[in-house]
Amino acid sequence: MAPPAAALSSLSNALATVEQLSSSSSSIDGVAPDLEASIRFAGAQLTQAAGILLRLSQDIIAQAIVTFTRFWAGPEGGSLRIYSVKDVSAAALYMTAKLSFEPTSPRSVLNVYALLLSKEASPLWFVNPRRQDPTDKPAPAPETYYLSEGDYQTQRQVLFRIESVILRTLGFNTHVVLPHTVALTYLQTLGVSTPALANRVFEHLNAGLLSPQLLYLTHQPNALAVAAIYLAAREVNVKLVDSEWWEVFDVDREQLGFLVVGMKSMEGFARAEKVKWETRTVPLVVEDVDAEIERRRMMEEGG
Amino acid sequence: MSAPSKSRWIDDDDPETQAAIERQKREKEARKRAKAERQRRAEEEETARTREAAAEKQPYGTVNGENGPPTKRRRLSGEPSADGSATGPQKRPGEGGAPAGQRSLLRFPGPEWGPCRHVDNFERLNHIEEGSYGWVSRAKDITTGEIVALKKLKMDNSPDGFPVTGLREIQTLLESRHTNIVYLREVVMGNKMDDVFLVMDFLEHDLKTLLDDMREPFLPSEIKTLLSQIVSGLDFLHSHWIMHRDLKTSNLLLNNRGEVKIADFGMARYYGDPPPKLTQLVVTLWYRAPELLLGAEKYGPEIDMWSIGCIFGELLTKEPLLQGKNEVDQVSKIFALTGPPTSQTWPSFRSLPNAKSLRLPASSIAASSAPEGKPPLLPRSKFPFLTNAGLQLLSALLALNPTARPSALDCLTHPYFREDPRPKAKEMFPTFPSKAGMERRRRRETPEAPKRGQEAPPLDFAGVFGGAPGGDTGETGAGFTLRLG
Repeated sequence: MAPPAAALSSLSNALATVEQLSSSSSSIDGVAPDLEASIRFAGAQLTQAAGILLRLSQDIIAQAIVTFTRFWAGPEGGSLRIYSVKDVSAAALYMTAKLSFEPTSPRSVLNVYALLLSKEASPLWFVNPRRQDPTDKPAPAPETYYLSEGDYQTQRQVLFRIESVILRTLGFNTHVVLPHTVALTYLQTLGVSTPALANRVFEHLNAGLLSPQLLYLTHQPNALAVAAIYLAAREVNVKLVDSEWWEVFDVDREQLGFLVVGMKSMEGFARAEKVKWETRTVPLVVEDVDAEIERRRMMEEGG
Repeated sequence: MSAPSKSRWIDDDDPETQAAIERQKREKEARKRAKAERQRRAEEEETARTREAAAEKQPYGTVNGENGPPTKRRRLSGEPSADGSATGPQKRPGEGGAPAGQRSLLRFPGPEWGPCRHVDNFERLNHIEEGSYGWVSRAKDITTGEIVALKKLKMDNSPDGFPVTGLREIQTLLESRHTNIVYLREVVMGNKMDDVFLVMDFLEHDLKTLLDDMREPFLPSEIKTLLSQIVSGLDFLHSHWIMHRDLKTSNLLLNNRGEVKIADFGMARYYGDPPPKLTQLVVTLWYRAPELLLGAEKYGPEIDMWSIGCIFGELLTKEPLLQGKNEVDQVSKIFALTGPPTSQTWPSFRSLPNAKSLRLPASSIAASSAPEGKPPLLPRSKFPFLTNAGLQLLSALLALNPTARPSALDCLTHPYFREDPRPKAKEMFPTFPSKAGMERRRRRETPEAPKRGQEAPPLDFAGVFGGAPGGDTGETGAGFTLRLG
């Protein structure tokens, strides 16, 4: 017997419609799909890094990344030529933390983003490509990532404004269910809950947050959990039951196949991105996006 | 309405009358259009239903039969898989494909998200009330003609961006899809960045106004109908880890079909196990549980059960049960009703922050005569028309010790709801003239819900039993005159 739909809301997410997947506000504004994917990938990583520095737990960070990703989807979503990725990332993280059991202050959030976006001090490869091994270099001067009081006041206003923009764009739907806990339950059900396997499952689930295929916007948590377990079990050499166990968790073979391919391709995608932006920075503010589009146009005309 | 008051022989030429008639005509037409729209929608639904019913009746073999392609509709779980191939093209990525063989997989609901609509899609009809967290008015959806309640969130220039209370209210309401919880249809926005409105189903009454206007309290069977609905709504909330934290009769809405719905989630929030850090200043004073008044830093859904006890009492007598003037007076009123706490009835109360200044009368230690494990019964004289089972339930809800209070689920299975008189069927529930629509309400005497961000005031409970701090003159305490009488 199928339980009533309302009872499943704690296990399911809102999914993107076909229209929201096939076009986006950014592409309408002339951002090439590959550039959009690169920027979104960098923005999601920025959110993840900021969450770690703010000592937020991974479930809050992951929810923030899903909210961040939803914001850009669809022709009625946010456009990269109107909203800066760094602002949306900060506001999504701040808002998700506010609703959680571990709220954080605007000042902490903005301090962390000042560091992560500093061209000299940032540990992120897409912000600071000249970054070498931090051990054989003197530490960057604190002035390069210091947030002055005046900057703090302006950026705080931006943070609050973008928070409202996100809420309006998503129709105030802040509900995000994650597959992580679901996956642990499934591992126990399958009788294979070893730390090594569980670790690998979580790695796939966390990497999936950054997927250019927007896996968290197209699939329910149970399907993500099953795919991560399937893939991780093969990699860690854990034997699962012979039968079609995924059907017990309401995932069919086709869906499983799609997700496994998607999750497996993450590593290659990430490596390619790193090579692609080896010497340059990924544009994280509107002006840089405009400049990048202009640069590409010139290249095309020149070549 | 000026035209009918004039004599019908008077010349209709004067422009004012003409204008009035014109206006009436226009209004009438607008009403007619709205009705036609409703009618059309009903018809559409009807045809959709018959079409679906027809599709249901099709035998499995007719996929390519004389009926042409089968009707397109969303696949539901548990259907026979014979038409699996036919529904292939409408499959969405999140929904997966046709199940292999006879297995049927659970399909999750896949709601969508989209930007907020503008508040101009609604026509404001009249003001209903101003609560502590926003202004509520009655409005009409211009496209569908439906009547809704529109609540504007107060933004109070919060230093933390979008007020967390408003966010929680929306988040918890969106999650709470239950017949006994008010239905949040959508969130719409105004022109300014901080104009945010909640669009909710409109209900004709709230219990507080209704009780104020009634000559006699509800019948016992009606009280059971109301209470069981309230508690099942609350059970849904608690089973989804949501605490309401401001249950009171003015936040319980009633429609003319006998349905009660819990509203105003301005204080609601998620809780967890172990409980997160929570603010102590919650729940309107008259409905506030003793552990909150005594400054407990950790509390749980039991505080909602206390409020339910207060509401139960109010339904029985038509008057709020415990009308304290301030925190100290509230504690004193509570102890006057329940008797003071003892180390048997509430072992941990001494360790609560505000209990240190509380001086219990010496005689109270011996006064406890309750059976082990059960909270003492409340004085019978206060509720003369209540059955024994009813009194037991009320006493359990108003147990001083939070761990002794029943959960919402316990309440629903209580014998009180199964003994005669049985709960009245919702359809048989009396109807009342609705005040919510037509006139501005008089100001409530109920104290307001505590404001967010206020500090819990430092309280000195030395005077709860009338004695001056340090004095042991407990016998003058209000609690004991009641117990003796």
